[in-house]
Formats: sequence, C-alpha cells, structure tokens
Amino acid sequence: MYTLGIESTAHTFGIGISDNEKIIANERDTLKPSSGGIIPREAAMHHFKFAPEILKRALDKSGLKLEDIDLFAFSQGPGIIPALKVGAQLSTFLSKKYGKKLIGVNHCIAHLEIARLYTRLNDPVMLYASGGNTQVITYYNGTYIVFGETQDIGVGNLIDKIGRRLSIPFPAGPKIEELAKKSKHYIEMPYSIKGMDVSFSGIETFVSKLIGKEKVEDIAFSLQETVFSMLVEASERAMAYCLKDSLVITGGVAANKRLNEMGEKMCKDRKAAFKAIPLEFAGDNGAMIAYTGYLMKDYKQNDLAIKPKFRTDTVEIKYR
Amino acid sequence: MKVLAFGSEAVVYEKNNVIIKRRIKKSYRIREIDEKLRRNRSKAEFNIMRFLYESGLNVPRPLKYIESKKEIWMEKIEGKRLAEEFSVNDANSIGILVAEMHNFGIIHGDLTTANIIKNDKKLYIIDFGLSYHSSKDEDFASDIFLFKNALKSKHNDLYKEAYRSFLNAYKSKIRKEFKGIDTHLKDIEERRRYNESY
Repeated sequence: MYTLGIESTAHTFGIGISDNEKIIANERDTLKPSSGGIIPREAAMHHFKFAPEILKRALDKSGLKLEDIDLFAFSQGPGIIPALKVGAQLSTFLSKKYGKKLIGVNHCIAHLEIARLYTRLNDPVMLYASGGNTQVITYYNGTYIVFGETQDIGVGNLIDKIGRRLSIPFPAGPKIEELAKKSKHYIEMPYSIKGMDVSFSGIETFVSKLIGKEKVEDIAFSLQETVFSMLVEASERAMAYCLKDSLVITGGVAANKRLNEMGEKMCKDRKAAFKAIPLEFAGDNGAMIAYTGYLMKDYKQNDLAIKPKFRTDTVEIKYR
Repeated sequence: MKVLAFGSEAVVYEKNNVIIKRRIKKSYRIREIDEKLRRNRSKAEFNIMRFLYESGLNVPRPLKYIESKKEIWMEKIEGKRLAEEFSVNDANSIGILVAEMHNFGIIHGDLTTANIIKNDKKLYIIDFGLSYHSSKDEDFASDIFLFKNALKSKHNDLYKEAYRSFLNAYKSKIRKEFKGIDTHLKDIEERRRYNESY
C-alpha cells in the first residue's frame, strides 16, 4: 500500500511516500526567514510555492505516479493555521481527484511513530523538543499521554528568541551549540521544573538581561546546560514513573549533540536504552505523516478540518 | 541496608528501621547545576517535612539532614504506595490530606499516587523534594492540576470518578474561597499549549 503524506504545520513543507512500512521518499523545503520569526502568511506562501516541486521530487524518488497512491494523509495539527491549510487543501484535492481515502494525522504522534520505526524501540518515552513543541510523551492505556510539557514556549523557540537578541540568524540552535562549546563558565539561571512540566519564559527574561554584560559563549553554555538539564530531568521522571526502559529524543532540537549526550548518560545510569533518530526524520517531515497515515488506514474520521491546537492525548490509538 | 526505591532523583534505603533518602549525583548535568539542585532540594525538603510533622500532618517524622551526603533521615512508615493499590475511596482521603497541607501553606509540587503511602486506613504524604511555602490560589491550583494529571496517566480507568471525589473532599476542607483556586485551575489548563477548549 502506497501512502503519500503531507506535512505543513510550521515552516517546513514536506511530502513523504511509504510503501507499507517502508519509507520510499521524503522530500521537503524549509522556510528560513531572513529576520525575525515565522510570519504565518509567509509560511503559507512558501508552502504554496514549493508544493508542486516537492510533490514532483517525491514522486520521482519513489518512481510512482499519483495514480499509484492508495492513501493520502496530511498533518491535521497542531500548527499555524495558514500553513496547515496548504497541506489540507492539497491532500483533499488529491484524494478527491484520485478517489482515494484521506487520513488526518496528529503531527506530534507522527513524530513518535517515525521514531519507533527508525529506532526499533517498541515502547519508549519520547522527548519531543522542537521550536513549537516541547513534550514528554509515552504510551499508556490506549493513548499517547503527555506526561510533561512546556507551560509556555517551546525550547527551540526559546533558543531562537535568545539567538535573535544575539543577532544569530534563524535557526539559532547550531550556532548556540557551537558557542557553548567554547565555554565552561556557568552563569546561574532559573531552573523551572514544575512537577512534570517545564517553563521557559522566565529564562528568556533572565537571559535577555545578561546580554551585553556576560560573554556570549558563557550565555550559550549556561542556557544549554540549564534547559537541557530540565528536559532530561522531566524525561527521567516519566521513565521512572511509567516504568519505561527506553528514551528517544526527536524534534528539531534533537539535532543538538549536547542534548543527546545528556539523554544518553541519563539512560546509561538507569540501565535504559537510548536511541537517536536519523536527523532526516527528527525535524518535521512528510515521511512521518505518510507512515502514521498508513498505520491509521482503517480509521473512520468524520472531522478532517485542520486542528491548530490538536492535543496529542485526544487521539485514540487503535493500531497498537 | 536495603534499597527500597530507586527513583528518578534519589535512592531511598532502609537501615535499622530508619528511611534514608539520598539525592544522587546526576552525571548528565554539570556539577554546578547538580550540586545546587541536590543541596537546595534536600534542605528544603527536610525543613518542610519538619514543619508539617510538627504541625500534625500525616508525614514521616524527619530525624536529621546530612548536608555532605545530601541525605535525609526519617522514620519508617509501614504500608504500600497508593500507585500500586488505588481505589476511588482513597481519592476522598487524599482530598482532605491535600487541603490540610495547603491550609498549612505548603505546596507539594509532585503530587502523584506514588507519593502517598497507605498504612491501614491512614494516608501519609511523602517526598517533599519539590515542595515550597505558599498560600497563593495559583499554587494551590498547580498542585491540584498535577494530581489530576497523575490520576489521568496512572489510573485512567478511575480518573473521572476519583478526581471528582478528590475535589469534593478538598473543597470541604480548604480554608479558602474555592472560587479563586478554581479560576486558576482553569487558567493553568488553558495555559498549556494547544488546548482545544478555547
């Protein structure tokens, strides 16, 4: 069964194709704003502009024609409204034109499913850390529950915001990571973990006051150490509480080597398994939507409208 | 010496009927963060336990705190953690206990059924590692919210009934206008990302 999945929740437009459980194409283009953050309308315009090209590339890569596709899937949410609409429109059009079923997929769950597929960890706790999302998710009683999450902004968003104040272009993660390597001097920062949840806005305010007073390398180092310690602590709590013996880290921030190193150390100390996801599938991508759509192929969905505030724990999981 | 629990941040062991909770080093975080967290949390935990014990709440009796080892020594409480054996009836007693704790101006900060021990019919709250002093509506609400989520994730089948029972008992005991707390409770839920209720 060939499934074509479209991802367009934020600044990435991606199309992936799966042949049953095998990913055979994963093409994308990511909007990189020249200054500031993502402007929703610009993201949508970017997606419209690149959609035909990405679709063609994905089909070429898989050697398929649109007529060959058996199932269409799209990222239903959570995300930015204008951006989500692009994927919804294109997939609805394709499914009607070729008379094939359409599946709406939860973006966060798609991250988890592709992580399970590529790490071969069956029942992990997943730390999903990206620009918009920061959640610790695990499977429990037939659904994915959000064990802990950010109470305000995503961790990637925090890093980008601070990067912007330091005149680092979007995405700021790689440059912050590079700067952090040059320092060993820790500046004490607010460590805000509330039970299972984390909060970052206090750190943003705190750090913005340090700019100009402290060395950039020291700020980068201290920022990374503080926020990643919080994320790893929250993940460990979920593992201890739900008795899970493996961890995966995904989302754009999973590209950070220091975060992975910390996750790995924590797991080693607990004698748990840790696996990183191939970078191609850690950031937003169409393949995860195609694959999750395939898993959900028997679902009967009445509501295929976009869901900008789609919560992970509201989806019933029938395929596990 | 017998290891009783290997939690996410501490090892709890038993020696001659005394429970010792030692906050262990975490190799993943740098020494500066690790030291500070372990020291502050252990010290605060010990002080809060002592305060609650002296106020008459059902908590283990704290014996001593050893700073160099980040160890808290306390009296043993026989019984089982509620996470292993939970019924809706317990939710009612938890509501009363939590309200009493809040009346003393203490926020638990990690309220789950794993942190409540049942001894015969009596319930004891343990693990004050994330606790702090406050009498603000918002902080009361954050405790309730945590407990609600813990019920949802660990006792999903009983969750709705248990939460209702917990909340009714809490309301009857809390010496504060519940309306204010309730407003914050709704606020916290909405503050989480992607809430479909608004």
